[in-house]
Amino acid sequence: MTKVEAVIQPSKLEAVKDALIEIGIDGMTVIEVRGHGRQKGHTEFYRGREYTVDLLPKVKLEIVLSDEMVEKAVQAIMNAARTGKIGDGKIFLSKVDEAIRIRNDERGVAAL
Amino acid sequence: MPAPPVGTSLRELYLSESARIRHGFEETGDGHEAAKRRSDLVNAIAARLWEELISSSPEGPQRFCLVALGGFGRGLLLPYSDVDMLFLSEGNSLEQQLRDRVRRVCQEMWDLRFRVSPFSRTLAECERVDRDNIEFTISLFDCRYLVGDRRLYSRLHDKIVPQLINREWQGVVQALSEVTRTRHARLGNTIFHLEPNIKESPGGVRDYNVAHWMSLLKMFEKDGDWPDLATLLPAPMREEAQQALDFLLAVRCFLHYQHGRDDNTLTWEAQDEAALRGIGLRGGEASSSAEWMRTYFRHARCIFRMLAQLLEEVPSARSSLYQQFQRWRSRVSNADFSVVEGRIFFHSSAAQDGDLVLRTFEFMAHHGLKLASDTEHRIEQILRSGTARFPCGGELWSHLRAILLAANAALALRSMHSLGVLGRLIPEFKLIDSLVVRDFYHRYTVDEHTFLTIDNLHRLSQPQSEWERRYGELLAEIERPELLYLALLLHDLGKGKQTESHLQASVQLTVGTLSGLGLEPQEVETVRFLIASHLEMSATLRRDIFDPETIAMFAERIGTPERLKMLCLMTYGDIKAVNPEALTPWKSENLWRLYITTANYMNRVVDDQRFHAELESDLISRVSALVPKREKQVREFLEGLPQRYLRTHAAEQVTIHFEMASQLRREPVQLALKLSRDLYELTVVTVDRPRLFATIAGVLSAWGMNIIKANAFSNAAGVVVDTLYFKDRFRTLELNPPERERFKRSAVDVLSGKADLEKLLERRAGADGNGVVKVTVETRIAFDNDSSSHSTLLELIAQDRPGLLYAIASTLSRSGCNIEVALIDTEGQMAIDVFYLTAEGFKLREGEVHSLREALREELSVE
Repeated sequence: MTKVEAVIQPSKLEAVKDALIEIGIDGMTVIEVRGHGRQKGHTEFYRGREYTVDLLPKVKLEIVLSDEMVEKAVQAIMNAARTGKIGDGKIFLSKVDEAIRIRNDERGVAAL
Repeated sequence: MPAPPVGTSLRELYLSESARIRHGFEETGDGHEAAKRRSDLVNAIAARLWEELISSSPEGPQRFCLVALGGFGRGLLLPYSDVDMLFLSEGNSLEQQLRDRVRRVCQEMWDLRFRVSPFSRTLAECERVDRDNIEFTISLFDCRYLVGDRRLYSRLHDKIVPQLINREWQGVVQALSEVTRTRHARLGNTIFHLEPNIKESPGGVRDYNVAHWMSLLKMFEKDGDWPDLATLLPAPMREEAQQALDFLLAVRCFLHYQHGRDDNTLTWEAQDEAALRGIGLRGGEASSSAEWMRTYFRHARCIFRMLAQLLEEVPSARSSLYQQFQRWRSRVSNADFSVVEGRIFFHSSAAQDGDLVLRTFEFMAHHGLKLASDTEHRIEQILRSGTARFPCGGELWSHLRAILLAANAALALRSMHSLGVLGRLIPEFKLIDSLVVRDFYHRYTVDEHTFLTIDNLHRLSQPQSEWERRYGELLAEIERPELLYLALLLHDLGKGKQTESHLQASVQLTVGTLSGLGLEPQEVETVRFLIASHLEMSATLRRDIFDPETIAMFAERIGTPERLKMLCLMTYGDIKAVNPEALTPWKSENLWRLYITTANYMNRVVDDQRFHAELESDLISRVSALVPKREKQVREFLEGLPQRYLRTHAAEQVTIHFEMASQLRREPVQLALKLSRDLYELTVVTVDRPRLFATIAGVLSAWGMNIIKANAFSNAAGVVVDTLYFKDRFRTLELNPPERERFKRSAVDVLSGKADLEKLLERRAGADGNGVVKVTVETRIAFDNDSSSHSTLLELIAQDRPGLLYAIASTLSRSGCNIEVALIDTEGQMAIDVFYLTAEGFKLREGEVHSLREALREELSVE
């Protein structure tokens, strides 16, 4: 089992969700986050005060999948989230030791 | 219940009768009946067990009896509820033999699987009130004889309990209120929960019981003895409360049977099932889950309101400081109302008119006080009488406006709504009464949500966070906040219509209301715009807010900075009122970001977005309608004026300016002066020339006026329309009416070159001391050669002082700059100016920018 973590532009969330549902993935966790990579921040002046955003608003998706679904999911996310500009985000993959369904104690891939 | 056949084991009896009760409930859905039958069943079983194990005579043994308490005492037992019973003895303690038998009785009952909660007490023990176990004392209020020594029971019921109450009622009431308030606070002080607990949640069964006990205690205090239970609850609410209780009992029975235990959580799935089976509804017809929950909330609101009234009436033993505060509040009483113990009473007993009713709510909104139940009943009577005349049109708006603008608007509006006044004034409001939006996001019914949006804005005046402070500052800048509040009040009415988009429906529904309030066309348009656009900003937040194109499109749809501010606050209030967590700091920051980026954008494109007659004809037709047969001249006047000018002026105002421009050949300097709220508005229409703006600013400065806001625009033909809003610091114009004419003539003379501005200013010099600087504003000068295609943008922040605008404008002129557009604003002690500059018709070169910056720095340096 693999955990897929994707940090993407908030404006791409709907598209990514739809793309994942289309390939049969409908379980995910979504978190509102802030961050930056090489994308520079923005400064706006308003009424004499400076409002600098160096941690830009992003959205993070977390999905745990069986290994054979991972590549499909990664492709779906990339296609939906890509704009070609700096700030598109990143995807991270990591191994998951165990998954457990709280309701009935199902384990492993069956719990996904 | 028929007598059980001889030989039938108790278990068989219990099981078969329980099944019959359940079956009966599933047929009829009558929870009250099911609870009553179950109580009778347990009665019979208790009697049987008593007979078998304790005494063969139902009235024996002596000085020992069994008493039903709590719900059982009231004759209502839910399928899996506890059964509270009191084994009452007279003497010091139970003899060992009796104790064993009592244990056996309880054992048998446990074996039958019902949860008996046995208490063993002596008569003397019952008389004492244990602060740590107030529940037991309260359960005595519902005592009912089961079996055993009847005289012993009578002593409990007729003597001991009355004595206890008469002695301890104040303490009990207080303890009861505290426990209830704690429970309410734990559950958010609201009836609105996505999955309410029917027993514990505000508006639930426990609240009903507390209301019952508090009424009981109240009656006891009055009459000194057991009151008639049928007329216990306060009259006007009685029937509604009884219906609410019946509904809740049906739901509780349903839940108990569903869960197979005393679980009173109305889960999402349970709601669906209950709706399908029409639980608690008359006729038991299936309904949608949303409609079913609507019924639930209506009943819960009734109980919650009834209890809130009773709790407020508790003479509190709060600290003397609080009591002093309450007494101080009584001093706000006036000719119409008295305030007693923090509640509003009518003075006159003959109050019958609708105007007084509205004044009551204004009073409520202003002072944050609640109505006495007597006042509520009177208002309900007035509504029912049908003879009362309620204000309408402009009169109604005047009242409504006052309520909406007051700090406790939501409090008053909720009260108006629950008493039916709001529905009477705005009939469309009834559509959203207790309307449920059934998803995991919307926690409140639509009416409650509406009141919360308004409250969220009022709370900004006492900011609890950095965000609230910022949005609060924005709110303070709104010119017509009452229009914003009105828009909020009406914005979700459309949800009461089953249509695709509630936006359009809300707009349609409110058209009638708005015209019924006697609002002016521009005001109606603003409110209509806000309602129709109230989701625009949220929608834009889902796009890339750092993309200039997103901002440009959004700005185009909104039009003006003032509308942008109102929409931003509307969005803030709306999101925050969906559920307590909806407006996360993440969202708050993004919303703020979108606002300032758009506001800045709007100020940077004024120069580029100009009116072109061949492209737009709507405005032409509206203005032409006011000055028929002169369409050609109207087109010439409008050509080249910035969109900003057109969007911020009504057709009537544009027409006035057009007329002024038409007079220029005769009179080259056209001036109009009027008082607009607490500011004077000076409009100058003339042909552009060097130093024009500086000169106007200079004249105002020379007369001691403080310029707060100003806009300078010009059209393609070089005709300038400058509007300046100023405060008459020394009240010259106010105190001496002839001065107004003199002022105008002075301005015309200076602008025509007939009078010398310098001389005028000299006379002023020295007359202005340096004002008290409360907040030091740091000067900021920013040049932007990219945003506009024709001009150099200058954005300036500086410490406001008398004559500042004249100083700045003069510096600009001296540097050889022409002011194409000026947007002048002041916020407290901060001057916020935006100038679009050209030098000899072109953007400023780098060298020019540099020297201008230096010149401005010098001019603005603090002396």
